[in-house]
Amino acid sequence: MILQAIVNGILFGSVYGMIGIGFSLVWGVMNIVNLAHGSFIMIGAYLSFTLYTVYHLDPFLSIPLVMAVLFFLAYGIQYFLINRVVRGPSFVTLTFTFGLQILIANVCLLLWTADYKSIKLPYSSEGMEIGGVVIPLVRFGIFGVAVLVTILFYLFMRKTKAGIAINATALNYEGARTVGVDVEKIYAVTFALSAALAGAAGALIAPIMSINPFTGGSLVSKAFVIAILGGLGSTVGALVGGITLGLVETIGTVVFPSAVQDLLGFLVLVLVLVLRPQGLMGKRFY
Amino acid sequence: MLKKRLYLISLGILLLLLIPFLVSGFWVRLVTQIFMFAALASALNIIAGFTGYAAFGNMIFFGLGAYTTAILMTKVHLPFIVAFPAAGMMSILLAILLGSLLLRLRGHYFALGSLGAMEAFRQIVDLWTDLTGGTQGITIPSFPGKPFVVNTFFYFAMLAMVVLIVYAVSRLDKNRLGYAFKAIRADEEAAGVMGIDTTRYKIISWSLSALFTGLVGSVYAYWFSYIDPPTVFNVMWVVNMFVIILIGGMGTVFGPLVGAVILETVSELVWSRFINLHLGILGTIIILAVLFMPKGILHLNWKGLVVHFRPGKGEAA
Repeated sequence: MILQAIVNGILFGSVYGMIGIGFSLVWGVMNIVNLAHGSFIMIGAYLSFTLYTVYHLDPFLSIPLVMAVLFFLAYGIQYFLINRVVRGPSFVTLTFTFGLQILIANVCLLLWTADYKSIKLPYSSEGMEIGGVVIPLVRFGIFGVAVLVTILFYLFMRKTKAGIAINATALNYEGARTVGVDVEKIYAVTFALSAALAGAAGALIAPIMSINPFTGGSLVSKAFVIAILGGLGSTVGALVGGITLGLVETIGTVVFPSAVQDLLGFLVLVLVLVLRPQGLMGKRFY
Repeated sequence: MLKKRLYLISLGILLLLLIPFLVSGFWVRLVTQIFMFAALASALNIIAGFTGYAAFGNMIFFGLGAYTTAILMTKVHLPFIVAFPAAGMMSILLAILLGSLLLRLRGHYFALGSLGAMEAFRQIVDLWTDLTGGTQGITIPSFPGKPFVVNTFFYFAMLAMVVLIVYAVSRLDKNRLGYAFKAIRADEEAAGVMGIDTTRYKIISWSLSALFTGLVGSVYAYWFSYIDPPTVFNVMWVVNMFVIILIGGMGTVFGPLVGAVILETVSELVWSRFINLHLGILGTIIILAVLFMPKGILHLNWKGLVVHFRPGKGEAA
């Protein structure tokens, strides 16, 4: 029972990691807590759902398409809107992204109705058993893709010119501007990358979670917990934070009665904030 | 000029005093609701606008005030006049306790830490069924009298809350305590170097904000005579308060009044006509308010629309 919970926690925690990486990237580079991050995940899930039901495109194959759509959507939002207020006090960007979140929720409500949606894959019941622990094929695939995307993102941040420019802007945006980095474009790329990761996470959760237009709001509080656990400024930290949350959730359902789980979650959040606000592995560089 | 202003203000006060006798119960309740949001936003303005700490969990005090009132009136059978100050005291105590833990955090960390504290508190209220009625909520003995008497009483009760809070904020705008808050907002390190005990003043600021928020929560509980956790710990209300402060002008005395009138009137018009689009329209209002008037509607500057807060040109966070 516990062993199965640990395996499930690690498999699903990888998706949490992807969610946390995008969220903490935007927070670390631009000092924006993006309350619409959960909404981007939700859009990704809805797109993948529509591509599957209308065009019979497998959610694993639609990931690049979903990522591209969210990349361009978020690039526009950042470049034309958020860049105007990005240097404002923290509550300004918080309020802005909250407005964006409820706007997206309303659009999704009109497009996809309030019913819960989820993708039923023909191979969803297949899996393998190792020593009494069941590893479902779909969840294993999700884990593989999430780890792959995370590794690609890590390499992008370290090896490419754009990634290095993002890091430079995060460390000192005036310095970056002085050496010729177009800060507004870099901010837009950062936000777009974060949304693309969220979209991929959305496409990945569509086969295993039911979503409705208000899922976005609850996902963003998870993103926040992951980012806090992992600490800002570290890809590996966010992945560790994600897997930690996955484990806490799956083991929590086995050990604690369901009534107190939410309470525990918020208490842990407040405690981590008070005792270790820099997170488990926080630093200033991605 | 001054004479004209006095004339206008006394005309406004006269109108406010007469409203319950001139319009129907629906409008009296709507104006009472506007007063409530103006009062809550003014109270939030003390910690968020003056001191610069975005307390996203401020509804924790509203809920605490409402529940203190409800529990004292139903379980201990105390009259409202006793439960009301008790709600304020409880809010101050909680603000001191939470503040000494959370006010060490800054920026987003404080904003979301206070939100986490509110959610945890709400879960406790949910689970402590014996005392709070849990998710079922509590029904409170309602104010005796005909609907007209009830509407009029709560109209004046909320009006009194607004006057009290705005008066307190107008004093803060000019006195030493308020200057200390503003110094912390401008630069906390510098304020500390100047000899301001920043931790102490931040806790005082949050306690004041909590006191007023808790008192409004107390009046709300008596007014609606039914409360449950999702209503009194509603995050949307905090967001509404922030939007009200934003529209009216951050850290100004009368801004929250202006913002509450605008947002609640628009919101009421939208609610009744486009229920399907309510969230979307509210979201659009929020986005436009943040983009085009980050300093409030009174500072709306068309030339500034393009350059406001562009990277490197605006204010630092």
